[in-house]
This record gives sequence, C-alpha cells and structure tokens, in this order.
Amino acid sequence: MARMKFYCDADRCIECNACVTACKNENEVPWGVNRRRVVTINDGEQGERSLSVACMHCSDAPCATVCPVDCFYTTGDGIVLHDKDICIGCGYCFYACPFGAPQFPAEAAFSSRGKMDKCTFCAGGPEDDHSPAEYSKYGSNRIADGKLPLCAEMCSTKALLAGDADVLSDIYRKRVINRGASAFDWGVNFNKQKLDLQG
Amino acid sequence: MKIHTLLFVVCLLASVFQVQAANPQSAPPPPPSSLYTSNPGAELWREVRQRDGEVLRGTTQMTSTDAGVLINVSGQLWREYRMQKLIPIAGVAILVVLAAILVFRVVRGKIPIPGGRSGVKILRFTTNQRYAHWSTAILFVILGLTGLIMLLGRTVLLPVLGPDAFSAIAAGGKFLHDYLGPLFALSLTWLFVLFVHGNMPKPGIDLKWLASGGGMFGKHAHAECYNAGEKGWFWLATIGGLAVVVSGLVLDFPIFGQTRATMEFYHIVHSIAAVILIVVSFGHIYMGTAAIEGTFEIMQTGYCDANWAKDHHDLWYEKVKDSAGAEPRQAEVQPGMAQRESTNST
Repeated sequence: MARMKFYCDADRCIECNACVTACKNENEVPWGVNRRRVVTINDGEQGERSLSVACMHCSDAPCATVCPVDCFYTTGDGIVLHDKDICIGCGYCFYACPFGAPQFPAEAAFSSRGKMDKCTFCAGGPEDDHSPAEYSKYGSNRIADGKLPLCAEMCSTKALLAGDADVLSDIYRKRVINRGASAFDWGVNFNKQKLDLQG
Repeated sequence: MKIHTLLFVVCLLASVFQVQAANPQSAPPPPPSSLYTSNPGAELWREVRQRDGEVLRGTTQMTSTDAGVLINVSGQLWREYRMQKLIPIAGVAILVVLAAILVFRVVRGKIPIPGGRSGVKILRFTTNQRYAHWSTAILFVILGLTGLIMLLGRTVLLPVLGPDAFSAIAAGGKFLHDYLGPLFALSLTWLFVLFVHGNMPKPGIDLKWLASGGGMFGKHAHAECYNAGEKGWFWLATIGGLAVVVSGLVLDFPIFGQTRATMEFYHIVHSIAAVILIVVSFGHIYMGTAAIEGTFEIMQTGYCDANWAKDHHDLWYEKVKDSAGAEPRQAEVQPGMAQRESTNST
C-alpha cells in the first residue's frame, strides 16, 4: 500500500507560485482559502530558500487528534481527509497543525469561520468519486483517476514532489548524491564558506 | 531507569564543572573552521523548525495571519495540553467531585432546619439580585454544557449518538457558546455589583467558620450574611469568571489578527478557569438545591425562614431581627405564607 507524501526540494523551488495557482484552479478554492502557499526565507539575502507548503498528510495527524467531532479520516493511501458535513468550524485543527494547513472561508465575529478546508491531495472527500457534491465541497478527485496532485504534477523545476513516500525518498536521495555532497555539507549544492572567501 | 538517568545527569554536571575549572576566565576557543564548515541546509531547517526559539516569518503571497510561519511549534504543545492533560484531568475531576457529593449525600442525607420551620419569613435576596443570579446561572449552565461537549463529547457522546447527530449537537452547542458568551460577561458584572456587598472577607469570622468545616460535620460556626464558603464561591466566580470572559472574548472574536500562539494561550486560560468553575459549581448547585432544607426557596422567592437564618447565618439574623421594621431587608410576615408553612410542618 502506498503512503502518499509531499516533498518540496528547497534547492529547486523558485517561488513561482504556480503550485498555488494550479491548486486554486483545479479545486475551485474560494477567495481567502489557500490550501497551498509558498514561503520564502531570507528573501533577497544569501541563502534565500523557498518552500511550498500544504497539508503534509501526517501519519499521526494533530488535526485528527484534537478534532472535537472526529471528522478526519485517513485513506488507504495515507491521505488525511475530512468530512465537511461533520466539521463544526471550531478551529482547533488550525491551532494544532504544524504547517498552517487548515483554512477557513470566513474570519468573523462570534468565532464564525465556516467549515474547514484543506489540501485533499487532490483526492476529494467522503462523497462518491466525481459527484457534484464532492466537487463543490472538496474540489477535484485526481487520485480516483490514478493521477497525482496537480500542484506537484505541473511544478516546472520538479521541486515539489508528490507520491509514494518510498519513491519520493529515492528521487531525493539521488538528487543529493548527484549534488556531490561531502560529509560536512549534506544536501548543499554549493559551499557557503568558499563563496564567502571568493566574494 | 531512573537511577541511570540520575547517574547520567550527575556525570554531565561533573564534566561541565571540570571544563569550567580548566578554563576559569575565557570561553573555549572557536573550533577550527575547516572542521566546522557551516551547513546552509542544516541552518535552513533549524530556522524553519525554530530551534533557536524565535519565530521565523518568511515572505509569502498570502495575507492571512501566520501565513509566513512555516512550522507552528506551539501547536504540538497545545495538542499535548489538550489531549494528555486537559481532557483526562477534567474528566477525572468531574467524576471525583460528583462522587464526593454522592458520598456526602449518603453520609449526611438531607440536612433539616433545626427546630423545623418557624413560619416567619425574612427577605434575603431582592428581586434584582435573584434576576442577576438566575441570568448568570442559566447562562453558566448552557455555556458549561456546550463547553463540555467540545471537551469531552468525542469521548462520551460520539460513541452513543453517532457522528451525524453528535455533529449537529456540537455545532448547535458551539453556536450557543459563541453568542451567549458575551452575555455572560454582562450578567456576571451585574451579579458582582449586586453581591459584592457582604462578600468582603472578614478573617476573624471566616477563618473560624472554615476551621469548623463550615458546619459540614455538625455544629455551625458564626456567620454573617454570607459565610466563608459563599464568599469563596463568590470570589472564585468573580476571578475565574473574569479569566473565562477575557480569554473567551479573545477566542470569540478572531478578527484582530490573533496568532495561533495567542489563541492557544487564551484557550489554555479559558479551559483551566472553566473546568475549575464547573467542578466547584457542582458543589454550589448541590448545596443550593437538595442538600439543605429551605435553601432553594430563598433564591426562588427571595425569602428565607427565620430558623434557617438562625442556623446558617446567626450574626446576620441577629442584625436583621433587631432592626425589624426599619430595616428594608426585614419583611412583614405575610399571614397566608406563615399559615401555609405551619400546615406544611404539621
């Protein structure tokens, strides 16, 4: 059985935000809800890195643990999904999630948030595959068609990877080896100190 | 296991002191740079995970609060608090207090008024005070129950009701909790203003009352209008209520850009204060309803029986008895009421 994961290669991401756009378009996500976002660290400085983040489909998902109505479930492929008919919009999953994945359509007085929305790994929800109800609540169901999430599928630099965790690990391991890492600078494709000396 | 850990810590401390003894003045020299080539990869992840304790905010196209934070470190602490501390402790505390009340009931039974009812009624609470009490009480019960659904419903109710029915109840509960919460702030303020007079601590009387066990095991100590137990509940409700109200308003209005860390902190304050209030309120509700004869009718009608007052609030009784007529708290005995009481007691 596959164990679906995302991995974002920080040495490849160019902060183009195409994954964000693809996700919004594929799933018809409303304004204000960002299932995926790109965060840039040290923007404009040496060592700048960008990462594309969404729900990481945790094995031990904090959202599912703290949910007061138990609306989360994990599919056979290890994808963490939730049932919007059960969700009461309390926001606990947002407090607990390490990645800021849970999103809410509203942020209003009296704690009115609406039903939580998050990345589904393009796997829809508990409704029948490709049903209008599923599409309106959760967006596209590409997994049912044997396709991977669109964000990763269309990433121009193949920084964002999606798929079985074992396969992703192999791909990333090969990349690291090809970058000629030494024992002292794992996963780095340039030597910062040498650059400092040259500069 | 514990001995091993202890030994390890002792060795660690010893080695630290040895190093300090060897270099009393200066820090160790910087390591040779060839060996400690800085690693941008490791530094990146250390920053992302906020290992150094400061919240890293990157730049992002998203405008929502905390969008630039890659890892929400406090989320895990909050999860552990809710799942491993709050839910088990609250559940056990509620069961323990209910069991204690049950034991008290079995041991003491219903406590009667010594000498029976006199039939003489004394005004104890004004209409305004009763309305303030019942507004706060009704709101408290609704807020407490809906809060407990959020806290313990998944453990207790969900297996019984099934996901759809429980979700409907929890959604309705959340709606009531969010909209009635601010009203509780108002009614609690009203209650405080009306009841603070007479609830100021008087150590001389209150400590003696507490030392005697509050009459729980027999003879009553002297008490004025409110005894130390009632004063304790009043101040707990005031201080705990203030904590619940302030933290609740922060949680109820997430429109001022509160970060997750802020919300988690106020949720912890809210839940601790609320669980304490709920647990202690069980005692208050039992004492006020079924525990002691002639108590519930006082908050119902505003009047207490003279013998009840003599037993529980002797100093207050002496005061209102002496100033009969001139004292507005002293009510004229209504013949009908006195008669009804006397027929009841025969």
